[in-house]
Order: sequence, then C-alpha cells, then structure tokens
Amino acid sequence: MRTFLALTVFGGGIVQATLAPALRIGDVAPDIPLIVVVLLALRRGSETGCLAGFAAGLLQDIATGGLIGVQALTKAVVGFGVGALGGRLRVTQPLVQVPGLLVLSVAEGLGRFFLLKLFRFPAPFTEVMTYVVLPQAVYNGFLGAAFVFALLTAESFRDRSS
Amino acid sequence: MNRRGLALLGAVVLVALLLLTLQSRGRSSQAADAVAVVTTPVQLVLSRVHRGAFGLWATYLDWKNVRAENQRLRDEIRGLRVDGLAVQETVDENRRLRRLLDLRARLPLGTLPAEVIAREWGGWVRSLTVNRGRGDKIARLTAVIAPEGLVGRVVEVRPGAAIVQVLTDPTSTVGAHAVRTRTSGIVEGDPRGGVRFKYMARDGSGITPGDVIVTSGLGGLFPRGIPIGRVTAIDDRGSALFHYAVLAPAVEFARVEEVLLLTGDTARDLAAHFPTDG
Repeated sequence: MRTFLALTVFGGGIVQATLAPALRIGDVAPDIPLIVVVLLALRRGSETGCLAGFAAGLLQDIATGGLIGVQALTKAVVGFGVGALGGRLRVTQPLVQVPGLLVLSVAEGLGRFFLLKLFRFPAPFTEVMTYVVLPQAVYNGFLGAAFVFALLTAESFRDRSS
Repeated sequence: MNRRGLALLGAVVLVALLLLTLQSRGRSSQAADAVAVVTTPVQLVLSRVHRGAFGLWATYLDWKNVRAENQRLRDEIRGLRVDGLAVQETVDENRRLRRLLDLRARLPLGTLPAEVIAREWGGWVRSLTVNRGRGDKIARLTAVIAPEGLVGRVVEVRPGAAIVQVLTDPTSTVGAHAVRTRTSGIVEGDPRGGVRFKYMARDGSGITPGDVIVTSGLGGLFPRGIPIGRVTAIDDRGSALFHYAVLAPAVEFARVEEVLLLTGDTARDLAAHFPTDG
C-alpha cells in the first residue's frame, strides 16, 4: 500500500514535470499533484491525504526551486481536509467534481499566496488570483473530473471482465 | 476526526513551517541541500526516463505524421489526377465544340448542332442518337456532318431525339466521287464496320490508296463535297460489280460527340469548307 502511495505521489510529480507543460492552455497549466492528492484523500482518508499532500508538495517545491515547504504545507492541509470530509461527498457526480476541485484549488492557491506573503512575495493578490489561481482552479476542476471519469470507466470495465 | 490524523497533520505542518523558518533565516541552502541530496539523483533518473520516453514519443509522432502526410499526399495526388482528367475532358470538349462552331460559321447553309446521346454499335445496325427531334423541326434523311466530314443521315425522328444512320451501317449508301479522278460510285457500309466505295467505273478509274472520296451531291440528299473517307486499299476481282475500294472513314464514328444537322439547302457544294488534302 505504501509503495502504491509513493508511486502515485511520485507519478503525480513526474506527470507534473513532464506532461503539465504539454497540457498548458495559454499560460495556464494544471496542478496534477493536487488532483492526485485530492483523489487519494477521497479514497484513502485524511491521513493518507495529508501524507500524500506533504510528499507531493515537497517534491514540487524542490522541483520548482521555490520556498521548500509552502506547497508541502498547503497540499498536506488540503489532503487532510478532503480526506476528513470525503465521506460526505458524492465524488462520482461531475456536478461535485468540477466545482469541488475548483474550490479546493482556490483554497490551496489562497493558502500558498498568504504563506508566501509572509516571506515577502511581491505579486499583488488580485493579479495572482486573476491570472494564476482561478484559471488553474478551473482547469484542475475539468481535468480532475475527466480523470475521475476515466478511472470509474476503467474500474467498471475491469469489474465486468473479471 | 481521530487524534492520529490530527497529530499527523500537526507534524506535517510543523515540518513544513520548520523548513520555511530555516529558509527565512538564511539557511535555505542547507535545508534545500539536505532534501536535494535525496531528490537530485531521483530527478536525474526521472529526467533521463522522461527524455527517453519523450524521444520515443516524438519519434512515434514523427513516424505517424509522416504516414498521415503520405496518405494525405496520396489522396491529394489522386484528387489532382481526377481534376486533371476533368480538365483534359473539358479542354477536349472545348476544342471539339470550337471546331464545330467554326464549321457551322463557315458553312453557307442552315445547320443545327446536336449532341450524341447514345450509340448503337451492333453488326446489324450502326447508328447514333442525337438530342434533336421533332420539336427542332428535323426532317427524316437530314444529312449529319462533323468537322471532319460526313457522319450519315437521320433515319428516324422522335420527340426530342433523332436516330442517325452512320456510314458504316450495312444499309447505308451515299453517292460519292474521288476528288482527284472525279470517278463516281457509291459508298456503302459493310457488316464488319468498314466503308467501301463501289460500283465505280472500272476503266480509267485510276483510284489509288490515299485518294479522298467525297459526296457527289447526286440525288440531292447530301450536299456535294463533304469528305467521306480516304482509300486505303483496292480490291480488284476482275468484274466491275465486285470491284471496290476500301475506305478509312473521315469521321471516327465511335468517338464523335457533337454533330451538325444540315437543315438548309443541300444543293450546295461544300468542298471548299472541308480539308481534303490532309
């Protein structure tokens, strides 16, 4: 299980480093590790979500050369929160998936922004929200929904064939 | 929410904050270095794997693109060939129509252009159906010509169409003479699809291969001087009755697409309006 978890988190990091630039629409790239963390937290609970968020965030912090710990912290909190609330959400519904991931992405972005502000991050709030956080949140919402749909389809196919 | 989960969250938050604090106090490089010791080799491997995978992917995409492009170019070539054929067809038609129009303009009698819409090419009957009929006031036995020479005569007039008996029809007969020697005779179709110049005066006929045979105008059905064909062989069997010349028709009946129906006065000499030398 731990291997699977590590692979998933690591895989998310790899995909972010390799595929995300290719998936860019304009200047907006999806935050694939965040989507992976959310999905893991929904399936495995708050502890797994928290650990996965921390690991994925840490990897991203290191890979991007930013302040190490910012994304580790925000993603860990998001993973924990989603894991804790996961049982109450019907994530198979696209009406939940898209706005859910959108809200979580915005929350993570806000957390990251305020954490960075503590370390004298220079960009203004409105610009960060308008050009970075919100577009990425929308993208995450749709990409995550597509990912969930693909996952459910694959699972139902596997169940049918077994 | 269980305590273990909260404790984990607290620990994680603490570690993250510790990392951040270390960096804010100028120890960023140490913290980053510590983590990088573990992550750099992994990143190196990942980057190589990534590069290799993307190299393969790029190669595959190139190959796929080349295939797709190849297919697209083949389709394009096919389309262009079809277009080329259509253009060639149009050019040919244009050339034919121009020749017909030219002939029509220079002929000193009334004509009606018609398009061949069907052919009957059996051994018993050889005819063309043209798109002019009773509505066009076409009369039976109207002479039909093409820019190269005589095609035949109308034998049946129907509403909207007329049947033209061509010279190669076994029952077709046309009064004719040789241009060079003025030898008279009758041109008949034969069952094999050829044309013969028969009943010519044997003595002094002097016809040789290459002589041009034109309509004589006798009988008033066809105007005088329309090319019928060129002598290709003489069959001399001793008796004038069976003495004949084999002709190569001036008109290629199997390919003729447009014709002129002579509606005006047929008692004219049209020899000057057709090429008989080549």
